[in-house]
Amino acid sequence: MTQDELLAKMQKKFPKAAKTAVQVKDYLTVSLPSKDDLIPVAAWLKKEGFDYLDMLTAVDYLGPVDMKGYIRQANFNVFLPEGAAPQAESAAVAGYAYRPVLELVWAFVSMKDKARIFVKLEVPRDAARAPSLSGLFKSADWQEREVFDLFGVVYDGHPNLTKILTPDFLQGHPLRKDYVHIKDRYDE
Amino acid sequence: MGMILEKLPGITKGMPGGDLILTTADALIDLGRKQSLWPMTFGLACCAIEMMGSYAARFDFDRMGVIPRASPRQADVMIVAGTVCKKMAEPILEIYHQMPEPRFVISMGSCANCGGPYYDSYSVLKGVDRIIPVDVYIAGCPPRPEALQYAFVKLQEKVAKMSLKRGLATPQQEKGSRDLTA
Ligand code: SF4
Repeated sequence: MTQDELLAKMQKKFPKAAKTAVQVKDYLTVSLPSKDDLIPVAAWLKKEGFDYLDMLTAVDYLGPVDMKGYIRQANFNVFLPEGAAPQAESAAVAGYAYRPVLELVWAFVSMKDKARIFVKLEVPRDAARAPSLSGLFKSADWQEREVFDLFGVVYDGHPNLTKILTPDFLQGHPLRKDYVHIKDRYDE
Repeated sequence: MGMILEKLPGITKGMPGGDLILTTADALIDLGRKQSLWPMTFGLACCAIEMMGSYAARFDFDRMGVIPRASPRQADVMIVAGTVCKKMAEPILEIYHQMPEPRFVISMGSCANCGGPYYDSYSVLKGVDRIIPVDVYIAGCPPRPEALQYAFVKLQEKVAKMSLKRGLATPQQEKGSRDLTA
């Protein structure tokens, strides 16, 4: 099954699923209009042979934040001589504009067809919620905990949504662009 | 010490009984202690690869009496080889307390010294000396195996100066480890 065939087949079932402007590598990348579509799409994909959840992650599209956060300068170059003009910033790629959203990404693999499909869903940064896929794919369990830990996305229906990587005393979600570190007992 | 041992048979032969030597307790204990510095086997990050390299055939740490032990109960030295995460700080402290005294700590690489490349990270402890007393620091990212061996030479020099009268602890160790509950 080629990508176009798969997309056509998918759009027949889910007319609102659209191909994104920018693909993940050369793989078919589909964006979903709302989070209610995620479970039906994942279930359909699983039935269609995409029965392996490769990975799931999140991307924070907030632009460079102020000095309190960890991004000090948008185009930081340590090798730049004193007083030299910094490199021109590369032009923004369509579909990659700074905006206050978290983009959730799922990658499904079909071992049978040797194909991979990326599914994207945008959620607002403050109230990031998405349905959990751990009911359909066991492998989603820990990865969703990881995204919850580092980005603060709440996966509804997850059996055990607790921190997985960061220590208990760490407050906040470190991979969010506006994360500000609160001093703990190890950095006096 | 090497010279004394080489000439030992010649000296002791002339002694009454033939097998008695006179030495100070310090010299004898320090000799044994410094020639068998057994490190605890654990590595935290990329520096551990260099540490493994120094144990292996090419650099052959065994010839210096440095034999990695699999249990902190049998170890004298802790080589903190790598990045110490805040989450890892507590286990390290626990291992440190499980080691019998006198115990020594070698901080290997920039990460263990001061946080290194991760000096402004949210999850990295900025220097293992914030929780346990360190005897020898090695600079580098990562330090070469020769540097680790030099650190052991330096540690041996330090051990050779220890004396029972002054107590077992080195000044750093007297400072003690950090009490995390405080
Ligand atoms: S000092 Fe360098 S080589 Fe050693 S653990 Fe840190 S980053 Fe890795």
